Amino acid sequence: MSPALVGVGALLVALLIVELLIQLNFISRFIVPPPSEIVGSFGRVIVEEHVFSRFLLTLGECLTAGVMLTVFGIAGGVLMHRFRLLQQACETWVAAMAAAPLVLAYPLFMVIFGRNAWTIIMMGFFAALPPVILKTIEGMANTRKVLVNVGRSFNLTPTQQFWKIMFPAALPTIFVGVRLGLIFALINIVGVEFLINYGGLGQLINDLAERYDLAGTYAAICFVILVSVLFFMTLEKAERWLRPID
Amino acid sequence: MATTDRLTRSVAAEPLVSAVTLLRIAIILAVLAIWEFLAHSGLLYRDVVPSLFAIGRALYDLLSHGDYYFNLGVTAAEIGTALLIGGLSGVAVGILLGANRFLSKAFESYLYYLGPTPKIIFFPIMIMWFGVGPGSKIALGTLSCFFPVALSVAAGMRQIDKVLIRVGKSFRASTWQMITKIYLPAMRHPIINGVRLGLGVALIGTLLAETKLSNKGIGFLIINAYSTFDMPRMYAMLVVLFVLAIGANALVGRLGGLEDIKRT
Amino acid sequence: MPSNASANDAILVADDIVVRFETPEGPITAVDNVSLMVRPGEFLSVIGPSGCGKSTLFNVIGGLLAEHQGVVTVAGETISGPHKSIGMVFQEESTFPWRTVTDNVGFPLELVGMPKAQRIDRARHFIKMVGLDGFENRYPGELSGGMRQRVSLARTLASEPKILLMDEPFAALDEQTRLLLGDKVLQIQQQLKQTTLLITHNITEAVQMSDRILVMTYRPGKVKRIVDINLPRPRTSEIVGSEAFGRYVAQIWSDLREEASRGMQDEEKHALEHHGAAS
Repeated sequence: MSPALVGVGALLVALLIVELLIQLNFISRFIVPPPSEIVGSFGRVIVEEHVFSRFLLTLGECLTAGVMLTVFGIAGGVLMHRFRLLQQACETWVAAMAAAPLVLAYPLFMVIFGRNAWTIIMMGFFAALPPVILKTIEGMANTRKVLVNVGRSFNLTPTQQFWKIMFPAALPTIFVGVRLGLIFALINIVGVEFLINYGGLGQLINDLAERYDLAGTYAAICFVILVSVLFFMTLEKAERWLRPID
Repeated sequence: MATTDRLTRSVAAEPLVSAVTLLRIAIILAVLAIWEFLAHSGLLYRDVVPSLFAIGRALYDLLSHGDYYFNLGVTAAEIGTALLIGGLSGVAVGILLGANRFLSKAFESYLYYLGPTPKIIFFPIMIMWFGVGPGSKIALGTLSCFFPVALSVAAGMRQIDKVLIRVGKSFRASTWQMITKIYLPAMRHPIINGVRLGLGVALIGTLLAETKLSNKGIGFLIINAYSTFDMPRMYAMLVVLFVLAIGANALVGRLGGLEDIKRT
Repeated sequence: MPSNASANDAILVADDIVVRFETPEGPITAVDNVSLMVRPGEFLSVIGPSGCGKSTLFNVIGGLLAEHQGVVTVAGETISGPHKSIGMVFQEESTFPWRTVTDNVGFPLELVGMPKAQRIDRARHFIKMVGLDGFENRYPGELSGGMRQRVSLARTLASEPKILLMDEPFAALDEQTRLLLGDKVLQIQQQLKQTTLLITHNITEAVQMSDRILVMTYRPGKVKRIVDINLPRPRTSEIVGSEAFGRYVAQIWSDLREEASRGMQDEEKHALEHHGAAS
C-alpha cells in the first residue's frame, strides 16, 4: 500500500464523509457547501470571474516585488558585507524586521500609495526583504577562505574578486534567501489583496465572500491553494536545478 | 621598541563608546531628522508623515487611556488561545507524523505545501463557522500556527538520537512516559523554534482578521485610526505593536537559549 | 571445550536463535542457531569479529528485536519485549543531555513511580558505586565520555536487573580508560554478584572480566567455541600481565583471527562488487 495513495485516499474519503453529512443535513449547507457543489462551481468561477487574468495580475505583482527584492536585497546584503561596520550595526535590525508583523502596516501603505497595486507590491517587497539580505550576507561570509586566497594568489582586483569568486560562491545561499523572499512576498501579496479588496486572486476570494457565494468562495480558496502549491514546487525545482552539486 | 609600541597601541584602542554604537545612533538620528523634515516640508499629503512630536503625543495619549489596554488584552487573549490550541495540536500531530514513517509519507507533504499559503484567505470560512466575534479570530490564529509547529515537531522527532529511544524502550517506558520523558525533552529546540514561528504567524493571522472584521482588539483600533485618518495614532499603535512583537519573539528565543545551559 | 552446565541452574537461556534480514542484495542470516546460557552471578562475554551478529544478538536478548526464531527465557519466563529482569547498557552515548546525573540515574525509578526522596537516595547510592560522587548535579555535557558511560551504567544498575546486558559499552574510549573502567565494572559485579552478559570485540576486555567466553564466527554468526576462564577471583586489571592471561588471549585470538580475516575478505569482495574495481 503506497503511502502516497493512502494520503490521497484519506482525503477523498474525508470529502465523501463531509458530502454525506451535508446531504443528510447533519451539517448545514449554508455554512459548508457540499464538496460536489464546490467542485461544480469551479468551472463557473474560472470563466465568469476571469480567474486567469486575475492570476496574471497577482503574478505580475509577485514578479515586480520579486525583482525589486532580488535587486535591493542582494545589493543591501553585499553592501553590508562589504562594510563590516554597517553589518555589525544593522544586521540585528534586519533580523528584527523579519520578526515584525510588517503586513499589519498595510493601512499605512494604503495611505501612502493609495488603494492600488503599488500598496500590494510594496508590502510584498518590504516583508520579503529581510531574508534576502540576511542570506546574502551569510552566503558571502561563508565563502571558503581558501577560495578567496586563490583569487589573491592570482592578483585579482577587488571587483574581479567579487564577481569571479565571492558572488558565485555565495550564489546557492543567496538563492535560498531569494526563494524565502518570494514565498514571503506571495503570502503577503495575496493576503493584502484580500484585505484591501483589490488585485487578483486574493481580491477574488474577498469578492465572492461578500457576495455570499459560498461555493464560489470555497472554490476560489482551493484555487489559490493550488496556485501557491504549484508556485512552491516550481521554486524547489528551480533551486535544485541551480544547485546540482549539493 | 617594537614591543612597547604594540602595548601602547592596544591600550589606546579601547574607546568609550564602540564604533558600532556610534554608527547606530548616527543612523537613527539621521532617519529621525529626515522624517521630521518630511513632516514639515509639505511634500507629502498632510499627516502621511506626521511630526515626531505628534506621534509622541499620540503615543502618550494611547498608553494613558484604559481602553487601549482593554483592546490589547482582547488581542493577547485571542493570540494566546490560538497559540495554545494550535500549538498543542501541532505538537500532537508532529509527534504522530515524526514517529510513523508511513503516516509521514502519506500526509506530511500536505502540511508542507499548505504551510506557506496565506491563511487570511480562510477568514470568510472562519466567520461562517465561528461567527464574527473572537471565535473566528482565534480560529484563524490557530490555523496559522498549527502548520509551523507540526512541521517543526515532525522534523524534530526524526532527529532525536535513536539510542535515547532505545533506552526508553529498554526500561519499558509506557507510550505516555516516552512522550513526556524522552520525545518532548529531546525536541525542546525544534519545539521552541516551531513555537516562535507559530507565534509570529498567529500574531499576524489574528491581527489581520481583526482589521478585516472586528469591533475589538488592536487590529480593530488600527483600522479605525485609518478610517478616521488619525495618522499619528496609527503610527503610535504600529510602533507599540512592533515593539511588543519583536519583544515576544526575543522572549521565546531566550527561553530556547536558556536550554543551552544544559548543553545539548 | 563447551562447558556442560545444565540448563536448570541458568537464569538466562537463549535457545536456537536465528535472525535473518532482508537487504537490497538479498536475505542474509545474521545469527544462525546460536544457543547460550548464563548462570546466576556469572560473567559471560560474547566475542566476535565485526559482522558476526553479536549486536543483533544483544538486541534479541534485550527484547528490542522481535523478528527472530528461537526462544529467550529469563528465570523460566519467555521474553516478549524488554524484560524487567534485564538491564541494557548501549554502545553509543545514551545519557539524557537535559537531565542531571542524578535525574539520569533515577530515570528507571521514576518510570515505576518511586517517590522522589527515595529515588534521589537510591540514585546517589549507584552514582557512588560507579565513582561519580560529587557530580550528582552536573549535566552530561559537562562530563567526559568515560564519565558519561559510567552514568549510563549507574542508570541501568539502579533498576537492579537480575541480568546486566552490555553492548561494547567502552568501545568509544581509549585503552587506559577502558582498563580502569573495566576494573570498576569487575568490582561492582563482584560486589553485587551481578549476572552479566557482555558483548565485545575486545579480547583483553573479555578475558579480564569473564568467567566464560563465547566465541562467534563471522556471518552467519554461529557459536564457534566456549572457553572457560579459570583465572582467580577477585580480579583486577593487574591480571593482564599474568602468563595465564596471555595464554587465554592467544587462544581466543587464534579462533577470532580466522573469523576476522574471513570478514575482511568478504567486505573487500563486497566493495569491489558494488563500487567497481580501483583502476
